Amino acid sequence: MTQPVKPLLNQLTAELKAAGFASGQIIMADESRACYGYDATRQSADPMLVLLPESGQQVETAIKLAAKRKLKIFPRGAASGMSGGSIPSSDGIIISLTRMNRILEIDQENMIATVEPGVVTGELQEEVSRYGLFYPPDPASLSFSTLGGNVAENAGGPRAVKYGVTADYVMGLEAVLINGETIKCGNKCVKSVSGYDLTSLLVGSEGTLAVITKILLKLVPAPESVKTSLLAFPSMSAAALAITAMFKNQISPSTIEFLDHHSINAVRETLPFSLPAAADTVLLVEIDGSSTSVMAQSQKLKKLFENKALLLIEARDEGERAQLWTARRRLSPAIANLAPHKINEDIAVPRAAIPAVIARLEQLSARIALPIVCFGHAGDGNIHVNVMLDKNDPEQAQRGVKAVDEIFAITLELGGTLSGEHGIGNTKSAYLDKEWSAATIAAMRAIKQAFDPENRLNPGKIFPTPGSQPCH
Amino acid sequence: MTLTWQQELKKCVKCGACMAVCPIYRQTGREEMVARGKLNLIERVDLEKPAHKKEIPAGWLEAIDSCLLCCSCEENCSKGVKITEIIAAARNRQSAKQGLNPIKKSAFALLLNRFFSMARLLKAGSFMQWLLWRRLPRHSGLVRRLPLPGIDDKTVIPALPRQQLDDYLRKRKAAPNLEPVLYFPGCATRYLYPQMGLDLIYVLEQLGFYGVVPPEFNCCGLVTWGAGDSKSTMELQQRNLAVIQKHAAIRQIVTGCASCGHALKEYDGLPADCEILDISEFLFRHKEKLEKLVGSRKLNRKITYHDPCHLRKGQKITAQPRWLLQLIAGENFVEMRHPERCCGAGGTFGLSHKALSRKILAEKTRDTDASGAEIVASGCPGCLLQLTEGALLAESSWEARHPVTVLADLLKNDAGKENRKEVE
Ligand SMILES: Cc1cc2nc3c(=O)[nH]c(=O)nc-3n(C[C@H](O)[C@H](O)[C@H](O)COP(=O)(O)OP(=O)(O)OC[C@H]3O[C@@H](n4cnc5c(N)ncnc54)[C@H](O)[C@@H]3O)c2cc1C
Ligand code: SF4
Ligand code: SF4
Repeated sequence: MTQPVKPLLNQLTAELKAAGFASGQIIMADESRACYGYDATRQSADPMLVLLPESGQQVETAIKLAAKRKLKIFPRGAASGMSGGSIPSSDGIIISLTRMNRILEIDQENMIATVEPGVVTGELQEEVSRYGLFYPPDPASLSFSTLGGNVAENAGGPRAVKYGVTADYVMGLEAVLINGETIKCGNKCVKSVSGYDLTSLLVGSEGTLAVITKILLKLVPAPESVKTSLLAFPSMSAAALAITAMFKNQISPSTIEFLDHHSINAVRETLPFSLPAAADTVLLVEIDGSSTSVMAQSQKLKKLFENKALLLIEARDEGERAQLWTARRRLSPAIANLAPHKINEDIAVPRAAIPAVIARLEQLSARIALPIVCFGHAGDGNIHVNVMLDKNDPEQAQRGVKAVDEIFAITLELGGTLSGEHGIGNTKSAYLDKEWSAATIAAMRAIKQAFDPENRLNPGKIFPTPGSQPCH
Repeated sequence: MTLTWQQELKKCVKCGACMAVCPIYRQTGREEMVARGKLNLIERVDLEKPAHKKEIPAGWLEAIDSCLLCCSCEENCSKGVKITEIIAAARNRQSAKQGLNPIKKSAFALLLNRFFSMARLLKAGSFMQWLLWRRLPRHSGLVRRLPLPGIDDKTVIPALPRQQLDDYLRKRKAAPNLEPVLYFPGCATRYLYPQMGLDLIYVLEQLGFYGVVPPEFNCCGLVTWGAGDSKSTMELQQRNLAVIQKHAAIRQIVTGCASCGHALKEYDGLPADCEILDISEFLFRHKEKLEKLVGSRKLNRKITYHDPCHLRKGQKITAQPRWLLQLIAGENFVEMRHPERCCGAGGTFGLSHKALSRKILAEKTRDTDASGAEIVASGCPGCLLQLTEGALLAESSWEARHPVTVLADLLKNDAGKENRKEVE
């Protein structure tokens, strides 16, 4: 820490303490601050100070006291972010929301949960399940990411194909603006059209517009049963046709995950069942709902694909369901064995464009001589694209960067988007102008300007800053 | 190939999955306390650097000290980072710099001292304990009579028995018709819970095995390893390995202590043909025989199960103890919510971090209460002591028992009733 900063920080912490912060909520020691400067992108920067507020009011206090000194604020949830959203700069304060982790209310009549932002997604799901209720969004990180982070990134998961993403469940918010004032938006009403829909604006704003301190979440009745099946097809296009056929036949899966042939090869040996050699694409399909409806839909699925698919396995119980999911679960560690490093992008395209994307990526892989492994959410068009490489080889690293440029170009050409789930943060901001026109970005900047005129709230995210480099 | 701790450290990708399971993080909400944060501290604070020559930063000490070594993070880490190894190595470097905590130092010296041994000290204590401690009415264990520093009236310590396991075994008759297996009872069973050891030996006998308990077995070394005392750990390992070598004709070693089993399985230099088995693993190997022995007998009280961390996460054993309880109790065996969550004992952690340990325990106690069980079974003396304290704190009426003692009672008593006599 540079010397002139010290007196400033001492003064600030004295004021925080006078305003009710306990010393355990203020982290100043060098070594401890350093533990709040990274996220799952493995970038790291040490904030000047870390605060652990325990109420919305404490967030207000902290932001007001920081505003007096024009200090930057970086909101942080569980820091499981995959786009560097919570990475601070050295002259900024981290506000970590992990201690604001109370479930304030589960309103069973209106089926709405009111929570603080630090509640872990999976904890809410477990709690509401006791009342026969269900909070569907299921990012793979649900057992450790926070609802605040989910809202800020508009997180989604495999169930998006039927249930949608986080945005579809946020009914209302309380949030602290950079001037320290709290705003409220939304309410418990299903129909609510008074004024601008600020709730929708804040969802997915990546901590750049306000610090979320309270969240109202819609709940739905818990499905009575779930049926899981695994289907193998000889090609990606055959699998895509199969998905279309499902919808046409009134089968409405809650999840359709796919594995491409590289993924299949990576896990094949470790699976508790055997896959035919000709299997090029595997679909993992889940159908949920009332027992009768699940039964009827599964029978239809069976009838439709018994002959067309190379393989169709239906899980009969929890144990078999878990076995089928091993194919998907073992994937990440298994592909990690293919090369020392991977560049991982989470592009999304309209569902029908999946075969085209996969075919184009296949060509790209041949051209740059690096394996590209694809898997993800076939139901909603969200594809995890993994370029496998050895970054210690500068020549490979260069090819990797080039691959990313081309992956984005292909995606955008096919009507897709840079990120389906992880957000732009600081890792993809350099590409924003590839997707959006100057006028669109100017409109986005105007919103940012209106909320945060001094650019002190999570600066350096979403918008390309002069000299900002893509980070992989 | 074994990696150095520095190489292990590099495997962490900072995904944060360890946050989902770390009991310390759950209670503190502080990043420095979770495995990811601890690893970051270990990476960032180079103890050899001149800046840290004089003192180790307080944040580092607090975080590295606040670990139960419960392996929960390791179970949930898709990168397979050996987090507890890294933490033990960090503690080792710390103690090399600062010296061991004096209490631990003298306790470890006792573990290694052949003449003035732990056994003798605890036996001496068994005569004096009634001055300071009184027996708990409904549970096994003692609580203080008079105010004592750092110990409140809800702290449960085990009653020190006058007769230790070895005393009972000295009177044992040889049984040439039984097949010998080595039994590693571990310190807690030997000196504190001899009945548990006798019950295990009894069950082995029923199955046709003779539990050989060499008196020269030492402490397994888990506690010295966790404290960062690698020298004592090596010494204890060598002594135990020598005992195993001496009994070259017996290649199976069973233990009823999850922590000892976890430690023994990690020994370097364990003979390749030697097998360490938790008692639940061993019993499962003799499934048919045991099923026949139990016959139609069933425990008529509701029983639930707590996974000892060193069994579930340390040794990946989850199914065998459940099979055993199912056999003992049938439908009276019920799962509690989150049986996998740590109870907060963590060796000496419960004493050094009492408040934090009790917060962790309180959740476990609530889950046990909610199961509606009268008995919570767990194959680890450390967990049993902690759970007993949990019942006392929450004024719950269930008792904590080793699955093998429940099994032994069932086998001894035709009606499945338990009118056992605690050994004094
Ligand atoms: C193994 C793994 C799997 C993942 N799988 C998925 C997946 O399937 N789907 C998916 O969508 N994502 C996934 N992610 C990414 C990540 O988990 C999500 O983006 C998640 O929503 C981030 O939550 P967090 O609490 O960790 O937020 P953080 O990483 O701490 O922050 C993320 C962003 O939100 C902002 N923020 C956090 N809290 C607040 C608040 N209270 N107010 C305002 N802004 C705030 C931060 O400033 C930052 O910009 C995965 C990550 C990992 C490591
Ligand atoms: S789960 Fe493993 S890889 Fe992930 S942050 Fe924790 S220690 Fe690192
Ligand atoms: S061993 Fe247990 S207490 Fe220690 S860091 Fe891992 S999960 Fe946390």
